[in-house]
Amino acid sequence: MRRGVREFVTVALPLLAALALAPLVYSNELLLFNFIMFLILAQGLNAIYGFTGYLPFGYVGFFGAGAYGFALAVMHLDATPLPAMACAGVAALALGVVLTPLLRLSGAYFAIANLAAAQAVYQVISNPALQDITKGPYGVTLSSVFAPALSYGVALIILAATLILVAWLRNARFGLALQAIREDPVSAAMAGVAVVRGRTIAWLLSALIAGLAGGVFAWHISVFYPETAFDLSFSIFAIVFTLFGGAATQLGPILGVLLLYGLYNVIGITVPQYFQLIYGVLIVLLVLFLPDGLASLVTRRGFRVP
Amino acid sequence: MLRRIVVCLLAIACVAGARGAWAQQSRPADERLGGCFDGYLDKAQTAQATAPQPGEPAAPAEIRIGHLHASSGPYASISMPVYLGLKLWVEQMNAGGGVMVKPFGRKLPLRLISYDDQSNPGTAATLTNQLITQDKIDLLIADSGSVLTAVSVPIAREHKMFLFDPTGTGAAFFSKDNPYIALLADPVSTVWPRFLWEFLKSDVAAAGLTRVAILYSTNDFTGTQAAAIRAALKAPGSPVQIVFDQGVPTSTSNYAVLIDNIAAAKPDVVLELGYVGNDIAFLRNLQESGTKFPMVFTLYPGIETSTLLKNAGQAGLSGVFSYVTALAYSYPPEVGMTLEQFRDSWEKSYAKSGVEFGWNAIAGYVTGLVLGQTLACTNSLAQLDVRKAVFSLSGKLKTLIGTFELNEQGAQIGELTPIGQIAPEGKDGIHFTVVYPPAMANGKPIFGTK
Repeated sequence: MRRGVREFVTVALPLLAALALAPLVYSNELLLFNFIMFLILAQGLNAIYGFTGYLPFGYVGFFGAGAYGFALAVMHLDATPLPAMACAGVAALALGVVLTPLLRLSGAYFAIANLAAAQAVYQVISNPALQDITKGPYGVTLSSVFAPALSYGVALIILAATLILVAWLRNARFGLALQAIREDPVSAAMAGVAVVRGRTIAWLLSALIAGLAGGVFAWHISVFYPETAFDLSFSIFAIVFTLFGGAATQLGPILGVLLLYGLYNVIGITVPQYFQLIYGVLIVLLVLFLPDGLASLVTRRGFRVP
Repeated sequence: MLRRIVVCLLAIACVAGARGAWAQQSRPADERLGGCFDGYLDKAQTAQATAPQPGEPAAPAEIRIGHLHASSGPYASISMPVYLGLKLWVEQMNAGGGVMVKPFGRKLPLRLISYDDQSNPGTAATLTNQLITQDKIDLLIADSGSVLTAVSVPIAREHKMFLFDPTGTGAAFFSKDNPYIALLADPVSTVWPRFLWEFLKSDVAAAGLTRVAILYSTNDFTGTQAAAIRAALKAPGSPVQIVFDQGVPTSTSNYAVLIDNIAAAKPDVVLELGYVGNDIAFLRNLQESGTKFPMVFTLYPGIETSTLLKNAGQAGLSGVFSYVTALAYSYPPEVGMTLEQFRDSWEKSYAKSGVEFGWNAIAGYVTGLVLGQTLACTNSLAQLDVRKAVFSLSGKLKTLIGTFELNEQGAQIGELTPIGQIAPEGKDGIHFTVVYPPAMANGKPIFGTK
């Protein structure tokens, strides 16, 4: 565990400090917020994919559930932001519990079923018949709690908690058990690992992280539509960033987000007409030559990546 | 060690929290708002009257206009025409030496900084922030449509940047506590269908057509229009009865079953409110089904006429009722080009761009006209002065889409579109007959042709 603390201090703490201080020198705070949000999502995805091998294409479902959990708490319970954030987490956890049977599937079947589940949640939320509850397809306005700087700070705390969790998973007995499940669930079960319980806990932790990210996103952006909160690009980006950097590490998803989301913004601002081409080529190259992500460049040579 | 980590995290959170508290406290009180419109002033006269006094800030080298557009994704079809219409206005102004900017007493060139958000609201939010905080723009224009505009509304407000909203008609954007927005080129969705419900309750009901079916796409634009129509038709004393009322996802592309369901309710009037793709699919399915209704109204034949004609065909559109925009109804402009002049300019510049000329192209151009008039009468580029200048145009500025008029929240309540009916013209063409309101009508409705 001492190694986990060391990894957190060397990798996560400088990142957190840099992100806390960045708004003082760079005024596009929303861009910085998006970096934090994708760091949280990538690490949340890492918790389930990196450690158990389950790749949830519909990860955005938890994110959207969190966003709407936050919004409903504000709209109907007049909750202040912090209790509303708790509701965001609870909403995502509840959805995670409902979708737990999906863990009986694996591989592409799980990925597709999860994507379908996220779409189902989106359709329910955006159903005009629920307009009185969710505002249906007409979007929510949370201007009463709009506080971008404060929500930025809370996002940072969520990121810190997520990084601590991943550092723990990397080094704790439970994380090692999850990795054993990922490699061979039958052997892991025979060795005494509680496969179902382990997967379920990782799944719910991952859902909770995405829900909190969704909640803080709703708080920060304050006006959004269902298609914004359930935008599939959240899932795609989180997956690509995690794969690019290297799953099951703390540093990999961080590198993925910093490099790829940074590149995304540079391209989007300077040469948007080439965006899809450049991004597409990068992903093809990644799949062909670095299927285990950037981290594999180092691990191949026998070094440990935090 | 763990204790040290916790202390570090708390310190980080405190830094971020303190910034939030400081930002909240440092908000200045809003200034009193008033009017400043002086009509379409002679530029030399304006320059003389408003020449900067000694000690006043020097004129900038250019006026920086920040804008977002979507070149791809679901909103590209409404966003690109607005962008190109605005770009055309900027190019024309710059070709003439720029626009008159009253605080500096002379013409200044314009620089349009328009980022591509690819129809992604998250990207639109980041790029809005980029325009304000990094590009230091003087004027901010939102992307088209409510979904992409929505994310820019709180950001503009947070940065106290006035948001020129071309076509984001969502009623929720406009509130008394947000002085940093105005809708320029589309009437707000709650007001836009006014002539339609008046027509249904008067002329249509008088013709014995009182059973109305409403089929709408569940998005902010058409959903709000449907709600406004529903409320008006259900008002006490209304002669009209709603016999079918259903929302469908905006992604709906097959209306065959829905048309059967509507027919089962035996309506006299069918109102189909959707985006371009919805209207095309509905009209095609209606034609293929052979089902007839005495009156059919859809939104987009009058808004994006070329696209609808190309995809639904002359036969598909004949007899249909729709809004009649400036594409088919001439409003004599007091500012800017006439429709014919604008269409010619568009064809010269963008004939090969693949972007169809339509209402949204006009909306982009009108956005430019409002910007130009605002700069001609604002006292400074301070954003509340900009707002004051925009509001001073209300009720006075007449462009090729009619009279620009804002309510006190910044929602557009002028530029209402009359109701018209489509008739075939020549081999492949169509023309609109305006049937309501009576003051604008140039013909009578013919029911039972669809």
